[in-house]
Amino acid sequence: MNSHAPILELESVTRVHGAGARAVRALGPVSLTVAPGELVAIMGPSGAGKSTLLALAGALDEPSEGRVRVAGVDLATQSRAQLAALRRRAVGYVFQDLNLLPGLTAAENVALPLELDGLGLARAREEAAAALERVRLGTLAQRFPDELSGGEQQRVAIARAFVGPRKLLLADEPTGALDSVSGEMCMRLLRAQCDAGRSAVLVTHDATHAAWADRVLYLRDGRFVDAGPDASSPAVLRAGRSA
Amino acid sequence: MSVRNSLLAILAAQPTHGYGLKARFEQSTSGAWPLNIGQVYTTLARLERDGLVEPEPVHDEGPRQTWRITDEGRRQLGEWFASPVADDPPPRDELAIKVLLAVAADRHDVTAILDRQRAATVERLQDLTRQKMRADPERELPWLLLLDALILKANAELEWLALCEARLSQRGAP
Repeated sequence: MNSHAPILELESVTRVHGAGARAVRALGPVSLTVAPGELVAIMGPSGAGKSTLLALAGALDEPSEGRVRVAGVDLATQSRAQLAALRRRAVGYVFQDLNLLPGLTAAENVALPLELDGLGLARAREEAAAALERVRLGTLAQRFPDELSGGEQQRVAIARAFVGPRKLLLADEPTGALDSVSGEMCMRLLRAQCDAGRSAVLVTHDATHAAWADRVLYLRDGRFVDAGPDASSPAVLRAGRSA
Repeated sequence: MSVRNSLLAILAAQPTHGYGLKARFEQSTSGAWPLNIGQVYTTLARLERDGLVEPEPVHDEGPRQTWRITDEGRRQLGEWFASPVADDPPPRDELAIKVLLAVAADRHDVTAILDRQRAATVERLQDLTRQKMRADPERELPWLLLLDALILKANAELEWLALCEARLSQRGAP
């Protein structure tokens, strides 16, 4: 795929739980395209389908209808093993907490997906060091998670999400447990990673963090809200790249 | 906003003429609240009447009148800095009034009103955040503090819109 091809595409995706009269539509139909270098934030009330969308985008769940493509690969055409490999190589996840393995150092945590993918230890450590440097944690690489602040742990998680060839970060309330200064630091680093060509989809309740995104989408009852005749669908807001 | 106290605060640092007051005020507050020069002169006239400022003796070389703060002016300025700002009664809030009237009139498009406002406020928040990204915390501290204040106000508005949406949908539920 070329460098301008979308990193993530959701095409008329729906997710329905259950069947028949008891079927509950958790999401959709929704369509969303994320370009390289783009940071997209998704907001909306609880139960609107935000986390469902993220799970579908990250190949952690399968849509009932529609297509999901990550880095040009149609997830429906992939075997279980291929999906697992795609998750290791293309996609990083950051959650509110429980992101890091407590028995591993920051560097080991970041190197883990590469090692699992079969990369040699030395190369994996090298890539991990570079990723930690990008989130300005180079000097803390040998610390264990409990020796890091909450904000530093999330920065390690961001480094791991973008380690090696990974180009897409999916984050669910990554700043939820952080104070406002640490949260802002995480968003600043995430923004910098996207400005350098990587992409991220961020689910958050915090509008001050969503505002770091190029686009802020609002999900309600499983659908993107169109704010009026002026709004370009499905985005509530047009892409306004940071200068 | 108290133009009166703002002018006293600038004059407390050094005597200044009318245009200088306007320029210094806008510089200190990052141009967020442009001052009308007519307003500056009207306020100076009232401050002089109340004995809080006085004209400096006119020098031959400068055609502009320079003003300085009096002891009584300094005393009143000290009181202003020492007292907390009280929003009681609350300042008139057009958005709140619009939403409350729409709810009172039982308009069917309340949700659309909230949606449009949210989109506009998020856009404003994005714009402010981009300006914050570019601001230099060492050299532009007043600007950064002002951006923080505007960002948190916009965020409070968004939180309120979310609460409106939640309460309205609860009201609609059986």
